[in-house]
Amino acid sequence: MSDKTVSQSPNLSRRSLLKAGLATGVAAGAVGTARAGGDPLITEIQDWNRYLGEGVQARPYGMPSEYEAHVVRRDVEWLTASTESSINFTPLHELDGIITPNGICFERHHGGIAEINPADHRLMINGLVDTPLVFTMEDLKRFPRENRVYFLECAANSGMEWRGSQLNGCQYTHGMVHCVVYTGVPLKLLLEEAGIKTNAKWVMPEGADASAMTRSIPMEKALDDCLVAFKMNGEALRPEQGYPLRMVVPGWEGNMWVKWLRRIEVGDEPWHQREETSKYTDLLENGKARRFTWVMDPKSVITNPSPQAPISHGKGPLVISGVAWSGNGRITRVDVSLDGGRNWKTARIDGPSLPKAMHRFYLDIDWDGSDLLLQSRAMDEHGYYQPTKNELRVSRGENSIYHNNGIQTWHVKADGTVENVEVS
Amino acid sequence: MSKFLKALSLGVSIAALPVVAGAAFAGDAAQGEKVFKKCRACHAVGEGAKHKVGPELNDVFGRTAGSIDGFKYSKAMIAAGNEGLVWDETTMATYLEKPKAMIKGTKMAFAGLKKDDDVANVIAYLATFSSAAAAKEEEQSSAAPAADAETQTASADQPAAPVSATRDGGVFGLGREALPEEIAAWDIDIRPDGAGLPVGSGTVADGEVLYTDNCAVCHGDFGEGVGRWPVLAGGHDTLADERPEKTIGSYWPYLSTVYDYVRRAMPYGNARSLSDDDVYALTAYLLYLNDIVDDEDFELSNENFTDIRLPNEENFFFDDRDEEPHYAQKGEPCMSDCKADAVKITQRARILDVTPGSVDDDQAAAGGGVD
Repeated sequence: MSDKTVSQSPNLSRRSLLKAGLATGVAAGAVGTARAGGDPLITEIQDWNRYLGEGVQARPYGMPSEYEAHVVRRDVEWLTASTESSINFTPLHELDGIITPNGICFERHHGGIAEINPADHRLMINGLVDTPLVFTMEDLKRFPRENRVYFLECAANSGMEWRGSQLNGCQYTHGMVHCVVYTGVPLKLLLEEAGIKTNAKWVMPEGADASAMTRSIPMEKALDDCLVAFKMNGEALRPEQGYPLRMVVPGWEGNMWVKWLRRIEVGDEPWHQREETSKYTDLLENGKARRFTWVMDPKSVITNPSPQAPISHGKGPLVISGVAWSGNGRITRVDVSLDGGRNWKTARIDGPSLPKAMHRFYLDIDWDGSDLLLQSRAMDEHGYYQPTKNELRVSRGENSIYHNNGIQTWHVKADGTVENVEVS
Repeated sequence: MSKFLKALSLGVSIAALPVVAGAAFAGDAAQGEKVFKKCRACHAVGEGAKHKVGPELNDVFGRTAGSIDGFKYSKAMIAAGNEGLVWDETTMATYLEKPKAMIKGTKMAFAGLKKDDDVANVIAYLATFSSAAAAKEEEQSSAAPAADAETQTASADQPAAPVSATRDGGVFGLGREALPEEIAAWDIDIRPDGAGLPVGSGTVADGEVLYTDNCAVCHGDFGEGVGRWPVLAGGHDTLADERPEKTIGSYWPYLSTVYDYVRRAMPYGNARSLSDDDVYALTAYLLYLNDIVDDEDFELSNENFTDIRLPNEENFFFDDRDEEPHYAQKGEPCMSDCKADAVKITQRARILDVTPGSVDDDQAAAGGGVD
């Protein structure tokens, strides 16, 4: 193995991944029964057991094993006209727990990644304030700061599925979401530092990128739990996540979490910017449209098994795993159905249960090898639970694009492969 | 730098001099990469580059104009190639200074690079992706270490990160007061009530010229949209259709959003390059394309801006998802025998499989999108 002939390429197609998964399954089966003379991986001394590996500092910034090279963000090229205003997807089916590693948090840009030297970055607060202020990054790091775990979901997550099942893989159907721990200054402290005038009712964060992204946020939310964050998972924000500074608007649609944050204006009316009029408004069947649909509703998806992560081990013990989140607060319960929503079992939530954060759930079953129609249904502390996709269509039609939190169905076949389907 | 190094690099430079003198690409490729950001919305370069609005630019040097397969050039560009135009440093420099002056009828809407340095630098950058240029670059690179060393020394003298200072007032006394000119530079947002509108004006006719030069390449001559770029005009009375067309005229509630957005983010890849009057003219032209004004002499200004209402303004309402039946009745969801009959599969992703890596994903776009 010293010559490291590993053929795994990050560009493996879904189908070849699928085949690879099944092939592994066969190999794993062979391991299950001891062969005569014993498993050579045990009976023979392996290179890594004999020769020295690389020393410290060979990898000053550690990266995942080369055997994990397929665990990457992926995009859907036909979705958008140019990659600088586009989106890619978190590989949810490869993850566990509740935290998304920084390098695979999905990206959504409207004018490409702004590359900013933090020494050149400024944050301005202006508008209906007593004293308009300019902060350097150094200034911001002298305010009291907080650490909070939050999910961030694009309002368009699952948006391609309004008309029916279209994409085979939870990375594509549900991957516009990630969850990290943010370190930042409460927006409230910065607004108080400038002094808010009594008629101030709205704030508008603005980005320093080539789209100069802007969104109107009501003052109540700004003073409640918004953060101005400079770290994610303990290290500086990644450039594609807004380095050096971004808004954190817990539980609300990802578009409002302005990246490369350079300005916060305070006003008495909303600004009705492009991203809250022409986009991120929900067109209903009657031609009218909802605006200011900020909260992300309760949602969940089974990540394993799923189309990109078929069952490779045959019947017997099977861990069904997934994630759930809600912009209203904590997830209190996730139910799982094996028969397309006729009967439900309550899954086990494991790991931290934090408001407006990702939750991890498991249902451990003994699979008999028959077809399954897997669904999950999340319930939040507000008492809301996920509707079916058809219930959503009855209420909204098929042209909303945004806020599709309908229950997802995976068809698990006897051979372990999985397909994205819709059911009666 | 030590005397030894100086002598060495000097020696190398002299040795390389005859070649360097003949080398075509004098610009700074690193600076050129920054300049290329202006081009990136329409052109790709580098490994795996594909045609976008403009052709991919790998191996552009040494290539006959209008000759690459799979890209639909303007007739003018193909004709130029037939007449013998080959891209090299000189021809490319002339073209980039003023594309339409050199090739009348080119599809490239870009107005041109005003600075000679930008032209030289972006050419040097593109040359790094051209094998015809690579030979020259390689010869030249032996002389590069001396220059690199100079640059590195210089960069050590960069100004230090701004430190934090305290002030009187506030709770923590952090930050400093923003100057009026700083606020004016960044605070360019416009509200539906006209708050923020700059003094200025522009006519439909002026807007048409600006639109043709700056916008039509992506949005189409009549706002119909090229490929998946946004459609800006038309779509009236389609919002309740199976395939609604959401344009400025059919969907957007406020005209202020048009002015605000064009001024802050357009043209795509060259934001903040239009004057306030230009933006008035373009906004006026977009009203014309949407049949909201019908006079080419119409002039939009800060004076008459708020008189104009977009037709769909009344059709937006505040979030009322709470009232949808599936949310209104909170409570215990059904746990067993929730459906009378065995569940049937009604739809499969494989029928219209557009998953990346699947056979026909490029035929895709069956429905939905991130918009």
